[in-house]
Amino acid sequence: MFSYEKKLQYPVNIKNPNPALAKVIISQYGGPDGELGASLRYLSQRFSMPYPELKGLLTDVGVEELGHLEMIGAIVYQLTRNLSIDEIKKAGFDAYFTDHTTGVYPTAASGAPYNAFSMQVKGDVIADLHEDLAAEQKARVTYDNLLRLIDDPDVREPIKFLREREVVHYQRFGEGLRIATDKLDAKNFYAFNPSFDKHCNKR
Amino acid sequence: MNERNKLLKKLSAAQFAVWELQLYLDTHPCDQNAIELCKRHSADAEALYKEYVEKYGALNKECCSTAEWLSDPWPWDIMGGDC
Repeated sequence: MFSYEKKLQYPVNIKNPNPALAKVIISQYGGPDGELGASLRYLSQRFSMPYPELKGLLTDVGVEELGHLEMIGAIVYQLTRNLSIDEIKKAGFDAYFTDHTTGVYPTAASGAPYNAFSMQVKGDVIADLHEDLAAEQKARVTYDNLLRLIDDPDVREPIKFLREREVVHYQRFGEGLRIATDKLDAKNFYAFNPSFDKHCNKR
Repeated sequence: MNERNKLLKKLSAAQFAVWELQLYLDTHPCDQNAIELCKRHSADAEALYKEYVEKYGALNKECCSTAEWLSDPWPWDIMGGDC
């Protein structure tokens, strides 16, 4: 069960529309390392997570990513408001406009729509946590790349906040992996899969 | 920044502190210092939430009227209005 709070995790108030920026930032909405994939990955992986700390962590980070998806949607929405057709053409926003007008659609900046092939739920605690660590780093790089392209401080501030969250989540997932391996056979972490071979879990 | 935005920012900062500590506690559930710190920030966030709701209306559907729920601004709107 989820309960909605009618506010963003971090404020987004962009004074100047800029469709050229919307075109690249949309990647964090529906791109391969975006917030939609992130929330779907963690909220799906948690069902097969074996330990309470990991069930809690995956739930919390997954929920926070939904909040980040909302922030990215707000950024794209505000960057594309009150546009004239001339502005749309000049910014190269015409291809997106043709398909989605100024609606917010989950797609990568390079044009591919959201695809669940960009994420995995392996049902194995070590494989899934490594996927999560990699995902946080890939999202961090995407935000670093975006920050190279963005000058407007109204846009930079929320993007910088989101970038920092990737670093914190990476840290927490690292600790989660340590918690998991501490509970496994120290001589062979792969002796059994605690997500599947539940009878092998030592308590 | 108008008064509403200022209060919203203070509330968000307090809620963020709580959230960050809760995330930390997922992997450090026995850290007493963090538990205490989390309680302190929770009390701050709760007080600010109450103040915000009294002045500007509820932020969640459970404790507000339909009219309040349907009223602007929505989270993606520019605070302080556009045109």
